[in-house]
Amino acid sequence: MGASVNKTTETAFEPLLQFDMEMEDFLSDWHHCDHVSTYLARMISHNRTDPVRHSNFFSSALNELLEVSFRGGTTDGKIGLAIYRQGATERVQLSFPCPPGQARFYREAVSKTRESDAQARYLDAISNDLAPSRESVLLDLAVNYDARLRLDEDAAPAITLIVDLPLEGMVS
Amino acid sequence: MIAASLPQRFKVDFDPNSQIFSLAGTIRPRSIDEIAESIQALREAIDTVRGVLYIDVKRLIQMNNTAFQAFIRVALDACRERSDLRLIVVTSSVVSWTTRMFRHLSTIEPQISVEVYDSMFYPGQDYFEDTSFIPILRAQTKLTWRHERTILPRHGMRPGIAVADICCGIGDFAVLAQKEFQPSRIVALDHSKPSLAYARKVAAEFGVTGIEYTYGDASEMLLEDNQFDFVSCRHSLQVFNQPELLLKELYRIVKPGGRVYITNEKNSHCLGEPRAQSIQWTYNELARLLTNFEIDVEFGPKSRRYLTDTGFDDILVESFMVTNLDGDPQDFADIIAGWEKMFADMAVRNGEAPEFIERFRQGFRDHIFAALHPKGYAGWPIWAASGRKPL
Ligand SMILES: C[S@@+](CC[C@H](N)C(=O)[O-])C[C@H]1O[C@@H](n2cnc3c(N)ncnc32)[C@H](O)[C@@H]1O
Repeated sequence: MGASVNKTTETAFEPLLQFDMEMEDFLSDWHHCDHVSTYLARMISHNRTDPVRHSNFFSSALNELLEVSFRGGTTDGKIGLAIYRQGATERVQLSFPCPPGQARFYREAVSKTRESDAQARYLDAISNDLAPSRESVLLDLAVNYDARLRLDEDAAPAITLIVDLPLEGMVS
Repeated sequence: MIAASLPQRFKVDFDPNSQIFSLAGTIRPRSIDEIAESIQALREAIDTVRGVLYIDVKRLIQMNNTAFQAFIRVALDACRERSDLRLIVVTSSVVSWTTRMFRHLSTIEPQISVEVYDSMFYPGQDYFEDTSFIPILRAQTKLTWRHERTILPRHGMRPGIAVADICCGIGDFAVLAQKEFQPSRIVALDHSKPSLAYARKVAAEFGVTGIEYTYGDASEMLLEDNQFDFVSCRHSLQVFNQPELLLKELYRIVKPGGRVYITNEKNSHCLGEPRAQSIQWTYNELARLLTNFEIDVEFGPKSRRYLTDTGFDDILVESFMVTNLDGDPQDFADIIAGWEKMFADMAVRNGEAPEFIERFRQGFRDHIFAALHPKGYAGWPIWAASGRKPL
């Protein structure tokens, strides 16, 4: 994994699992997004207060992230996924190779999720757009899952999305 | 009625009579084209209705943004075109993301409202979700378990299998079953938050791990199809006003070849000596009283019919009698004392006369008297039945 994460937070987050796959294989079947998110969500949720509902909720968020990498990724290299936990929060760290020059679009999309008008932007996107954009998917995570997103570009041309999902508290 | 069954475990349905358009299952298309038929179905449903269209997403397990945006696009456009149209989206309190995602629609479009389906969905619910019900469940399972631990293997319970206990109450049965039969997985579902909180607390205190307690509505579960080898539903079909709905769900989640195991009572057959007549009178009245709450405590012997009608085969039915001689007679007396209080409250709620209530209570006291009497005998009969989902 090409990500370097802020050391202080990294020590506080306990690793739950790590998964990687050749991008070429991953991109060979759209259903990988659904299967991987369902399977991994179940694995990491078994010791949550309400494993069934946590898993459903988590899978929903993780699938969106995987779909982003499916739609935006390139075949050279690997997709890497690591999940960590700290208290009621899971951290998803997703790296994938993307075409040169694309990183800045992710950077912009991620930074919009942290702005005060994130909700307004999200509402605007879902009321007007025919299909979701990369930006509205990330806004969805921020608005509907209370996710906090960051982008790590240290391993260019691969990018790493770091997404903290405080779902445990929302489920129970 | 149109029904389009698509790949991706997804179902779309429109019932023009009730004006309900429902989306169920998992839908994660790569592009809108894959769901064009369903989108068209929504358009047609909107064209058909006058006034209100209900969009029921209670059983929607997963939907990606691609599908979400495509469906809401149709809904929003329709509202803009037709000022007479009202859309009511019904989400479930169980599926966390649906309510969070769909709630925005009412902000965007005043003709759309979002309702969360949850409380007061069956008439006896108040009583079964009250904390005062917890000690009753505790006492009941303590006594029924002595019988059921030997009965269960005949109905398909064995080590290493995937088990679900639906309407688990405070979860004692799940704990006992886990200890005795070591299933590979055990899910325990109930709609009572106090009971689940209690179950989790007990599990934590006793270091019990691995039981997946989950909040849910047994008539619309988040659990996927064909997942369990053994599904139990104890003393609960009888309290729910639509047992056939619950049975359909139990059937859905059990694997082909797996078994669904149900226990139910026939309370008018509760008995005791001495004071048999007073006891008999009270339990006859109890069965009658509870019909006002759409609770059928005479369900036990109907198990065979219900299981058959749901589609199960290889049906087994047996009955057993919990008695004061099973162990400490005080345990039996504790159950009856709990019943007296709970059912007397229900009689009051039902507007029964004070003289009735006094006589009604007396029967329970006499049952306790019989249970604790040195030469007495007191019994509570239960029907255990199971059926196999055909391969
Ligand atoms: C009589 S209690 C039996 C509990 C437990 N099986 C036992 O034997 O101790 C009935 C249980 O069914 C639950 N229940 C009833 N209808 C339900 C539904 N639709 N979904 C989930 N739970 C339900 C109630 O909350 C209650 O805990």
